[in-house]
Amino acid sequence: MSFEIQKEKIKQICRELLEKGEVDAIIGYTAGEIEGSRIPYIFSKPEEADKLEWDERCTPNLCTYLHGRTDKVGIVAKPCDTRGIVNYLVENQLEKDKVYIIGVDCAGMKDELGEPSPGCGECGIRQPPLYDTRVENPDVTNGKDAPSDAADPADLMEKLERFQNELKKCILCFSCRQACYGCYCQVCFMDRGVPNWQPAAPDLGAKMVYHLGRAMHLSGRCVECGACERTCASGVNIRYLIKEISDFIEKTYGYKTGLDAEGQPVMASYAFDDREIGFLGGDADE
Amino acid sequence: MGGGESMADETVNTNPEWEPKIIAFLCNWCSYAGADLAGTGRLQYPPYVRVIRVPCSGRINPIYIIKALADGADGVMVSGCHPGDCHYLSGNMYARRRFTVLKKLLTAAGIDPDRVHFTWVSASEGGRFADVVREVTEKVIKLGPNRTCEYTENVLGGNRI
Repeated sequence: MSFEIQKEKIKQICRELLEKGEVDAIIGYTAGEIEGSRIPYIFSKPEEADKLEWDERCTPNLCTYLHGRTDKVGIVAKPCDTRGIVNYLVENQLEKDKVYIIGVDCAGMKDELGEPSPGCGECGIRQPPLYDTRVENPDVTNGKDAPSDAADPADLMEKLERFQNELKKCILCFSCRQACYGCYCQVCFMDRGVPNWQPAAPDLGAKMVYHLGRAMHLSGRCVECGACERTCASGVNIRYLIKEISDFIEKTYGYKTGLDAEGQPVMASYAFDDREIGFLGGDADE
Repeated sequence: MGGGESMADETVNTNPEWEPKIIAFLCNWCSYAGADLAGTGRLQYPPYVRVIRVPCSGRINPIYIIKALADGADGVMVSGCHPGDCHYLSGNMYARRRFTVLKKLLTAAGIDPDRVHFTWVSASEGGRFADVVREVTEKVIKLGPNRTCEYTENVLGGNRI
């Protein structure tokens, strides 16, 4: 029942913030048209705060709606949303004084069937790393993420088949890109005419270029919110690949995305003694 | 230093229906000059590499490599200045992290790690350039044609679309 207690607290905070005029708007969740569904909503009047919802169906990553805003906004942020905000700060996409973070402890979200939402089952970060106000849940504690399962098929051929089995479902609709908090390029490389990265036919090659290229763009930036998998109409899961390199980056460079607002983006920094794993005559991977 | 001695058998392609295509991205300041030196030094190396000259190894977008593999290149090799010798001071340091992660990603996706190679060759290492090309060619010939952009037999019966 702690969701109910948290919800009342969030409502109260939102109402106060809007009444005092500390923020111009608050990004939060409200009920969707389908019963039980929760959709993002931008609250701009104190009386609207009653419409605010907070329960285990509040899956969307609200951090996406923060990008490009110039007014002062409050945001109801789960730990993964907060990690996204921290990464925006790290990448200079946001000014800290333009955002008021209502950090909410998260016990894990569920989908409409009651199963853990993509990413939530293995998530180890249950408390927001950065906040202006925190709405606590005494039942949750930070733990360790469950490791990636991409290494599970040890055989290269099985890995390729797993990858291709995901790709064959993809129709290149780019929903995952639209839903992703990290995909904020004004022109995506797949939309470019010059140079034209996308092969002419929407075949396996085009899907490979898109998904591997996107995974590479998200290396060291993914917060594992699961938005890409949740939004996909065909059920494509490429998150396991991104998770694999996130784990690798954490192990090799000691960097976990979205925890330290003062840090440097891992792929835009270097150390002189970086290991050369996989290079000709380089280090071996442990 | 291999030089003009007789080539090892593994670097000679014996498949009459297939010729390996290896795309080599070489940085302008070190590796391209190293390849030049191998040429002026009359060092023999396998003829399957297509060289693309780039300003710096840090200029190489990982998508270049992914796109090359998706468009049917059998192997990709990338070479830049040794760490610390970059003409632009730190380009190859950024590239090093990028390539390390890229190789991990490609391996996780099931693309053979022997198709993609990263190394450092300086402008004075003509012999090393020939050696590297020989090593890469040997590994790519052993793997055979690149079929990663076609579905395998177990997935959609091997069709491309």
